[in-house]
Amino acid sequence: MSRILESELNVQGLTAYIDDSDEPRGMLHGTLAVTPCARGRLLGIDPRPALALDPSVRVLSAACVPGENQLGASVPDEPLLVEGEWGFKGQGIALVLAATQAMARKAATLVAIDYEELEPVLDAREASSRGSYILPSRTMASGDTSSAFARSAIVVSGRTESGGQEHVYLETQGAIAEPREGGRVFVLSGTQAPSGVQHAVARVLGLSMNAVEIETRRLGGGFGGKEDQAAGWAALAALGALATKRQVKVYLSRREDMAWTGKRHPYSADFRLGLDAEGRILAFEADYYQNSGAACDLSPAILSRTLFHAASAYRVPNLRVTGRMCRTNLIPFTAFRGFGAPQGIFVMECALDAAARAGGWDPIELRRKNLLKEGDVFHFGQPLANCHTGRSVDRLLEKSGWKSLRAEMDSFNASHALEKRGAAILPLAFGVSFTKLVMNQGGALVHVFHDGSVSVSTGAVEMGQQVSRKIQVIAARALGISEARIRVESTKTGTVANTFPTAASTGADINGMAALAACEEIRARLLSFAAKRLGAELGNLRLEGEFVVNGCEPTDLGWNKLVDEAHLERVDLSAHGFYATPGLFYDMKAERGSPFAYHVYGCAAVTATLDVLRGTYRFDTATIVHDSGESLDLSVDLGQTEGAFAQGLGWAALEDLRFDSKGSLLTDTLSTYKLPDIHFMPEMEVEFLADAGNPKAVMRSKAIGEPPFMYGIAGYFAVLDALRSARPDLAPSYDLPMTPEKALAILTGAGAPAKGAQDASALAPPKPECAEGALS
Amino acid sequence: MITVNVTVNGKKYKRDVEPSKTLLRFLREDLGLTGTKEGCGAGECGACTVFMDGHTVNSCMVLAAELEGRSVETIEGEAKEGVLSDIQAAFDRHHAIQCGYCSAGMVLSVRELLKRNPKPSVEQIKEGIEGNFCRCTGYQQIIEAVLDVSGQEGSKGELHYV
Repeated sequence: MSRILESELNVQGLTAYIDDSDEPRGMLHGTLAVTPCARGRLLGIDPRPALALDPSVRVLSAACVPGENQLGASVPDEPLLVEGEWGFKGQGIALVLAATQAMARKAATLVAIDYEELEPVLDAREASSRGSYILPSRTMASGDTSSAFARSAIVVSGRTESGGQEHVYLETQGAIAEPREGGRVFVLSGTQAPSGVQHAVARVLGLSMNAVEIETRRLGGGFGGKEDQAAGWAALAALGALATKRQVKVYLSRREDMAWTGKRHPYSADFRLGLDAEGRILAFEADYYQNSGAACDLSPAILSRTLFHAASAYRVPNLRVTGRMCRTNLIPFTAFRGFGAPQGIFVMECALDAAARAGGWDPIELRRKNLLKEGDVFHFGQPLANCHTGRSVDRLLEKSGWKSLRAEMDSFNASHALEKRGAAILPLAFGVSFTKLVMNQGGALVHVFHDGSVSVSTGAVEMGQQVSRKIQVIAARALGISEARIRVESTKTGTVANTFPTAASTGADINGMAALAACEEIRARLLSFAAKRLGAELGNLRLEGEFVVNGCEPTDLGWNKLVDEAHLERVDLSAHGFYATPGLFYDMKAERGSPFAYHVYGCAAVTATLDVLRGTYRFDTATIVHDSGESLDLSVDLGQTEGAFAQGLGWAALEDLRFDSKGSLLTDTLSTYKLPDIHFMPEMEVEFLADAGNPKAVMRSKAIGEPPFMYGIAGYFAVLDALRSARPDLAPSYDLPMTPEKALAILTGAGAPAKGAQDASALAPPKPECAEGALS
Repeated sequence: MITVNVTVNGKKYKRDVEPSKTLLRFLREDLGLTGTKEGCGAGECGACTVFMDGHTVNSCMVLAAELEGRSVETIEGEAKEGVLSDIQAAFDRHHAIQCGYCSAGMVLSVRELLKRNPKPSVEQIKEGIEGNFCRCTGYQQIIEAVLDVSGQEGSKGELHYV
């Protein structure tokens, strides 16, 4: 048997996703008639042309929603179905049901919509200048930046842009809803947040949460895109199911998924960095303009992570950063691996890049000089503990043979006119925990069956990150039995309630701890039974290798016998476990506290070779030294590290999300939206830090999902480094992704991209605080 | 409706199909073989890769009505009596699978590659599976699995801490 049950099934095509479920006779398929432009006002809907298509067609509009027509979880600004004015193209106006998916799609195009088109706002800065925000801006500050800038020997400032990013989870979004007796509803949902979907469905249908059950078996990828964004599809399916008393399936095509669902937030930012004559950072200021899209979704939490990671892995004694959630007429942007941190870290790296040029410093030495050290205090007041950033950087430079590599590249560049090589490093300090305190809790339910097999349910959703594998390892170790006895169940809201999304890299941390608590409780009951049965001292007993062990002596109580006898003696073989991450607090007014349980450290180096005539480039190598604590499964953590890096590199260099001037998504297929293929990826060499056991998470492990995404940012600067070898006369703007098109524009001097085109060090300092800049 | 006689995983079927039905939908809806996944429906991602008459095709780009007399092999035919094929076992061993959605197509593309070239270089492996997107892995563990199954233990040996 495979070590990882999920993999063994996956590789045979035996794992079932939403679209693999049986479709019983009478099932209806649902899709949306959507808003035809980015901003408009709905004047009327005529369903008759659609209804004429087939007797099975039903068209449900906002008026048919029995509960609250609202999906917005933190701000009520996103109706399930449009009423009155709408804010983005591709928002649902009517749910269209029909006997087949093809017929539903055809019928949806026949729904006649009478509307008035309004002028959209697409750019974050323009929205800001009009005062169009989701919520008031937020500022974090420490020290005194004004006097620190005054003391600085060098001050650089500039503007940065970073683009959005499509999740491209290979399984598109969807849900199947089934009416149950007594007005209840069951939904099979492709979501990272089953309890969140349960709440959304109950709200839309006007039901109590105990009338709604959500099950998530697994996802064909999530990456943040199936948190709040999954609620709509489940709510629509449930709405259709209750209206028709039939099963209803809503499952998006790739094009629909790309056009109708949220993506990573594009950001625009202004920065200012002050350093002393030796290159030590004295002050940093930044203003972030987050393009939040037309509705709140998770934008405040994403902005908060940007602000928390504003200083990245560097010590910044005086800092002031302000973030604005700019409401535009694009699709509501949402969570994506890294969750605002990559956007913030990119700005700090741009500032250091500008400083290295202005001060004539070696970029690596400048970064090393400013690395965070044990005991340094972040700008939000949390001291840094168990810091391994410096160690990671040192090891990375040694492992990559940095000095000779640099010399080799310089001599290559000196002797090659048509090809240039470049390199960059990215040190990492990534905070782990949901920055919203309430979300740092989770539950588990563990059953030991009387044949000795074990079932573990938690709130965690399996989406390829192998959280189920990690929970299996935890349960097996806690009970002292073989991993083969443990089965990790699908995620069901009726089994483990009030859970939070599998997100923020915390899936294994929180749910693993809850599973551990439940297993420990069962183990205690079993050992207490064994002590009586054996007449032994309880304190001497433990479960190990499938046996009760008494001190150093084996006993006759093997796992099966133990469980069977305990069951006959009426010992409870089930337990609920609960975990709330300890030590977290945050004062939003003061912007001070300890929002993270711990940080994840590491460093990456990326090298690239640029074709000077064409602007095309290839990434040659990626070397990563990463801190995964005491890994629960090294091959899983390796896969997460490489995969997250690939997505980060895609965001930094390749993935070019584009809208036209009217707010229509141009990149709505995999032929127009390019994501990393096998040729794009460099050879990756990953090492995990030894002796980095983490006292703050389950079995001394560390969260792995998001942190390595940041390493991809080094790819942007590696290409920039090569570009500078080719054109030392030019000072390119900071505009991510660094696509070959942009590289060519820089090489030919044709054009620096429209936005933020000035020399970074020559730009004016950022504008003073806007009027709305009060603390939120 | 068009009647077709087709062999799938060694089993003969006679079915009436709509002219517009793709091979992908035919496999999933008419034969219940849901191991083949739809990633894009437009021939761009490779998730729906199957063998047709001995060569891989994107099953979303083939019409079921064209299947008369042909032979199709899907991921369901890869493991024999519940025993993983050597390619599947290597994918499993090297953790070349994360969410699993691309895995069926990826495994079959590797089978086609190894049929043509039993000992492919890394560059040849890349060419062999360039039509298959994986959004999860960064591809390296997949390359390592292919090197392993082709008897070229190119993977870097056991994982270790520094």
